[in-house]
Amino acid sequence: MRRKMRRWRLSSASFYMRWIVLLSLVLVVFLPLLAAAGGGKPATKVYNVADTRSMQPGLAKWIAGVYNGSPWMYGLTVVLVMSGMGLVLGFGMDRLLKLLGINLGKLAHHE
Amino acid sequence: MDMFNIYLPIAGIEFNVLLLLLIGTTVGICGGFFGIGGAWIVTPALNIFGFPMPYAIGTDLAHMGGKSIVSTIRHSKFGNVDLALGASMILGTTVGMELGARLVMHLEKLGLAESVIRKIYIIFLFLIGSYVLYDYLSHMARQRKLRAVGAPTPQRANIAQRLHRINIPPMINFRASGVRCSIWLPVLVGLLTGVIASVLGVGGGFIRMPALIYLIGCPTLVAVGTDLFEVMITGAYGAFTYGVKGRVDLLAAMWMLIGAAVGAQLGTVAVKYVRGYSIRLLFAVTIFIACISVLLKQLDLQLPSSIMILTAGVVISLVIIVWLVKGVIRERAATRSANQSVLKTGTERR
Repeated sequence: MRRKMRRWRLSSASFYMRWIVLLSLVLVVFLPLLAAAGGGKPATKVYNVADTRSMQPGLAKWIAGVYNGSPWMYGLTVVLVMSGMGLVLGFGMDRLLKLLGINLGKLAHHE
Repeated sequence: MDMFNIYLPIAGIEFNVLLLLLIGTTVGICGGFFGIGGAWIVTPALNIFGFPMPYAIGTDLAHMGGKSIVSTIRHSKFGNVDLALGASMILGTTVGMELGARLVMHLEKLGLAESVIRKIYIIFLFLIGSYVLYDYLSHMARQRKLRAVGAPTPQRANIAQRLHRINIPPMINFRASGVRCSIWLPVLVGLLTGVIASVLGVGGGFIRMPALIYLIGCPTLVAVGTDLFEVMITGAYGAFTYGVKGRVDLLAAMWMLIGAAVGAQLGTVAVKYVRGYSIRLLFAVTIFIACISVLLKQLDLQLPSSIMILTAGVVISLVIIVWLVKGVIRERAATRSANQSVLKTGTERR
């Protein structure tokens, strides 16, 4: 029983690790490569400024602050927040569906 | 309803949170079920409710990346993601998208971009929808013959099977798809779909999904899962590049992602209870609706086009949810009767 639990834990951990490594590769390797692949002279950038004068402190004001601070930091923040939320919500929804009793094992492919 | 309005600082507008959740959930269900990004639902939906178009595109791409992570994780646990196949196609798609972008620039210099691209889009959507529908109807006809005659009718090798015979090394065994072919096949299919997606200005999920089925020969569910893996990568790139250009409203994208995460899980789990050809039929219907929507835009009927696409998205999501609920009820009934028969056998033996 303990061996089975250990094997399950190791296989779950290696499954999650695979995803974390893959996503890290995407962020570190592919994004700059793909961005650099864009050819031709860049057009003049029109970058708006978010109006934070009447905003209350909170998430929206923080986002606007990052946006006004640096475009590169904002781009990176968008990717990190979306990826992080995707991972957390993905695993969270998985647990919820398992609690609802839906069998989430491997599927046979019927056409 | 005004109490659900929030101020979006990047887009500079007020927007209803419930609407963001509805749009996210709808596109999450469709995306998880068909393996597409759903930009053709989200972008017009955000635009008609007040989002400036560049922000609608950027915000959609940002949420699409996150949503696709949710669906891809679920599909990979189902065994529907062929990572090797997806990675091979991404190589081709990246180059294809760059070539497509340069082709569009060239068409723009000739003054042909607007007139040519939308017409190509309509024709292309019509051809994809027609072929998928023809495939479904042929399959149903074969099934009826099989039931009548009792023996399968001999079939010619389909396009994918003929392409598998091309022996250009290295030959790769893509295990999850059950396909053995030259690695150049997925790279070239990726290149072709990348060019088309880039010219049409779309993510390409609705082009890659049928390409995976008909040109590479993947089972439908593996095509859905592998396509989502690619959408995840292109979504991440889109989120970054539009974020740097300042065209992503992160707060709106976060709200949409909450709805999309729920929808994506529901759509992904629904594939468990639906046969591959039923997914293809609904996909064909969705493509025809998208085709009519683009045709309406071509006739300068922007508002009817956007309302039609949003309504169609909601209706298709409801169909998928009904299939999911029916499937769960059937599965539970089967489990209950299996348990009861085990108990009965145990009691009889005693």
